[in-house]
Amino acid sequence: CVLSSCSQFQKAMKSEDIAFKFKTGDSLYKLGKFEKANRLFAQVVPKYKGKPQAEKLMYLYSKSFFEMKDYYVSGYQFERFVSSYPRSEKKEEASFLSAKSYYMLSPIYSKDQTETKEAIEKLQEFLNVFPESQYASEANTLIKELDYKLEKKAFEIAKQYNHISDFQASIKSFDNFIYGFPGSSLRESALFYRFDSAYKLAINSVEYKKKARLEQAKEYYTTFKQAYSNSEFVETADVMATELDKELETYSAKS
Amino acid sequence: QNIQYGNSKKYNLAGVSVSGNTSFNEQTIVAYSGLRKGKEIMIPGEDVANAIKKLWNSKLFSDIEIFIKNIEGNNVFLEIQLSDLPQLNELKITGVKKGKKEGIINDNKLKKGTKVTENLITTTKNFLIKKYRKQGFYNAKVNINTIEVKDSLDKARVNMVVAVDKGQKVKIKDIVFDGRSALKAKHLRKAMKSTKKINRLRVYKRSKFIDSAYQADLSALIDKYAENGYRDARIISDSISVNGDKTISIHLKLEEGTLYKFGKIDFIGNTVYTDRQLNRYLRIKEGDTYNGVLLQERIADNSKPDADDITNLYQNHGYLFSTINPVEVSAENNVIDMEIRISEGKPAYFDNVTVSGNDKTNDHVIYREMRTRPGQLYSKSNVVRTIRELGQLGFFDAQELTPDIKNPNPNEGTVDVEYTVKETGSSQIELQGGYGGGGFIGTLGLSFNNFAIKDIFKKNAYKPIPMGDGQKLALRLQASRFFQTYSFSFSEPWLGGKRPVQFSTSISHTKQFLFDPITRGADRDQSFNITGITLGLAKRLTVPDDYFTLSQALSFQLYDLNNYNTGLFTFGNGSSRNLSYTIGLSRNNTRIDPIFPTGGSNFNVTAKLSVPYSLFDGVDYEALNNERREKQQIIDNFRLNSNPTVAETKEFNEASTRRSEIDQERFKWLEFYKINFKGDWYTEIIKNLVLKPTVEFGFLGAYNNARGEIPFERFFLGGDGLGNFALDGRQVIALRGYPNQSLSSRDGGTIYNKFSLELRYPITLEASAKIFALTFLEGGASYDNFRDYNPFNLQRSAGVGVRIFMPAFGLLGIDFGHGFDPVPGDAEKSGWQTHFIIGQQF
Repeated sequence: CVLSSCSQFQKAMKSEDIAFKFKTGDSLYKLGKFEKANRLFAQVVPKYKGKPQAEKLMYLYSKSFFEMKDYYVSGYQFERFVSSYPRSEKKEEASFLSAKSYYMLSPIYSKDQTETKEAIEKLQEFLNVFPESQYASEANTLIKELDYKLEKKAFEIAKQYNHISDFQASIKSFDNFIYGFPGSSLRESALFYRFDSAYKLAINSVEYKKKARLEQAKEYYTTFKQAYSNSEFVETADVMATELDKELETYSAKS
Repeated sequence: QNIQYGNSKKYNLAGVSVSGNTSFNEQTIVAYSGLRKGKEIMIPGEDVANAIKKLWNSKLFSDIEIFIKNIEGNNVFLEIQLSDLPQLNELKITGVKKGKKEGIINDNKLKKGTKVTENLITTTKNFLIKKYRKQGFYNAKVNINTIEVKDSLDKARVNMVVAVDKGQKVKIKDIVFDGRSALKAKHLRKAMKSTKKINRLRVYKRSKFIDSAYQADLSALIDKYAENGYRDARIISDSISVNGDKTISIHLKLEEGTLYKFGKIDFIGNTVYTDRQLNRYLRIKEGDTYNGVLLQERIADNSKPDADDITNLYQNHGYLFSTINPVEVSAENNVIDMEIRISEGKPAYFDNVTVSGNDKTNDHVIYREMRTRPGQLYSKSNVVRTIRELGQLGFFDAQELTPDIKNPNPNEGTVDVEYTVKETGSSQIELQGGYGGGGFIGTLGLSFNNFAIKDIFKKNAYKPIPMGDGQKLALRLQASRFFQTYSFSFSEPWLGGKRPVQFSTSISHTKQFLFDPITRGADRDQSFNITGITLGLAKRLTVPDDYFTLSQALSFQLYDLNNYNTGLFTFGNGSSRNLSYTIGLSRNNTRIDPIFPTGGSNFNVTAKLSVPYSLFDGVDYEALNNERREKQQIIDNFRLNSNPTVAETKEFNEASTRRSEIDQERFKWLEFYKINFKGDWYTEIIKNLVLKPTVEFGFLGAYNNARGEIPFERFFLGGDGLGNFALDGRQVIALRGYPNQSLSSRDGGTIYNKFSLELRYPITLEASAKIFALTFLEGGASYDNFRDYNPFNLQRSAGVGVRIFMPAFGLLGIDFGHGFDPVPGDAEKSGWQTHFIIGQQF
């Protein structure tokens, strides 16, 4: 770091002059030294309470947390900013950054999605309040991304049941998925894997349940084929369907 | 003034004055009373009453009265007369030990400055009397006096004296039952759980009289009768007489009523189970003595969640919405006919099964372990088992795993379940340095119990290490001047993710140098290397039941001696190989917390086998054995010979070389088989007190007796059971109360057995630290061959200890054991030994 800025920081840290601390923090912030700026801001936040400069200070303080990737705190601080200064010109940006902080906290789809759901809620709230915002399109993109995470989670769980050969659980989970995420981009795969699970369950079934299961599988095949006749899975599915027909014939021949 | 309510009249309030003994400002009191000047008020009426109420509620005044001072036409002048409540100035408590005074002050809020009201005095008095009666001081007396303080200050203040006379503890000399004939007095007294007669032999429950407990015991007495068919039994009167000798006697007058019996018991509404099936759970026949408690237990036993009752029969087979109500239909001639009305409802199927709280562990690791899957029939026992098995994974805090049964929908017949988990730290780091074995020893150990090897090259997965796939990875490096050990192990519980087949592998390398007397350091030219690799697969079985695991492992060890002449081997240059196959069968259904199981058992049988080389390698081991015996004879004779000739020395050298050659031939490929058995049981005797018996047995044998038993893989019994640095694949078995490995011969035993009985009690089971205390009795012995084996000839010990489990450090513990028998070769008993335990041995 530049020697002068460092010593300036040390001086400000030890100084009793809160205006000087604020000024130094502000200039460090502009230089991109968010951690140092944050430490100075933290010192003066209680002292500026109720003063006119507090609005700018709180904004910078919240933003420095965001820049430091401390999203738990930045989400909370921006939220507080919005409720403390409802007439601020930064309100729109702060609301968005608060929601985006929650977005940043959302983990990979295969872990607990509490933060994801919270982020969707916050982003949606933001869009409701500021439908014309310059951040609206970004917010929409983020929501889409988060929605996809939830879809992916449900899809992967259902697919895992298929993988570990619990076909009944897989069928049920895909049923729930298809019902719960009607516009999902994974719908095509879901319809196919539901058919795949039903097919495997039917082919390996005990005799007294076999006929009903074959028919069920055939039904899932029809649903899949009708919806996605150009799917990459169609060929595989067709082969499986022929197999089902062959098995079903033995029943019609018997009766 | 006496004014009747009926003819109340409207006045204009023209003025309010205050009189009486108060230090408060007049205006403050008037304002507080709500009697504003200029207000229109009714007299008599609510306004005055409310004013008094308000002032009273401030808890600052006593003797509040409001008078009409003057009436001038429509104007009324009121006067409020009141006096301040005194504040507490000094408090004196007598008749109580110094240490207890603080507690009394806090419990009753008797701080300096508290307003002393009648209420405060009464509640304090009652509180104290109740408190001492609870402790058995039935005659406790409390007296509270207040004395006004008179000094220059205006404020009314009092000093308070709380005089406590606890009196003698009252014991119960006798409990007399009047009108008792059906049940024995002994049994009735037993039913009274807290109110006991004096009995000096009974230490766990002293005789004392506590009124509330006594009342509860009286109803327990009635329950006791009800359980035995006397459901009309009642207590006509109970009285207590005080004896002269600080004891009381209790007299109970009973009316037993008549004996009732069960009549016909009909099931109504059952379609899924037949009457016969249900009767098998009810186990009550017509003509049995009526017992309402038992009937309720057989229908729904609230004390045991996994009881064999009718409710669980339905609950475990999908009937979440079932209700079962026993109804009395007739009670003629003391015979009670029952109808058990069952509403089965629709069977419920799981709809959404979800997990929350898994901040580290990936979904697939959890979902594959679950016993409740979407579309399955609801089963309470499967929910319980899922909780157990998720706890066993070791990634979550077992005490905080909870299932939430959500959205039960009786019309659709569906139900959701959400498992809430809480991640615990499951990585351990060991970094230590210390002196031992003639120099500095440094150890670095890392073990990650929930590793994700697929993320090992992903930069942003390092928070701080890639986690969440349920894999175990351990690395351990240990080095000193004389030896180095490197080991690495990895395991994946679901190889390929399709079936619960655990794959594990470990690689280790050890290098050992001899001491060089000239440089006083390690002699790099004399070394002994051991390299080993193990591959294993373990598969969960479904037959005979799904608690079984079948495991198989293939391992190879190379022992390479390089000019390494010690007493351990007869050859200094050479090598030995150990290629073996291990097959094991285990069953583990220990319950809930893996650190502190409270139920279930754990069995383990393994067989470790080498190839029977001697069957086909064409070597005549009989001849070799004879030749070795000859050479050994020569060597032994030479050692006794104090003045050998040149020829004799030459013969000795030849014999010595030949013996090394023969041993090298014998141990080039180790040939052996080894059987191990271990069983643990866990039983909760009373709440949280767990008894754990253990049985262990091990046997090492040779296929070919002429080739002989190998000096590797042997059993070393005694001490803390920690595997110290060892060259020869030895198996170290703990036996507390004796020094480490002291109960086996120098080369190790080929057969051992051990029996142990441990009693455990938890001190805390928080996720951050689990601590439990234990006491044990154990015995074991190790033998050099089967001829000496005698399972009754044991080295015995007993002792106490404590274990602490912290997620970052693993299990730590200390045990003090007393060995009752001498170590082999000693005359005196082993006596007290202290053992430190690291890791999970016990």
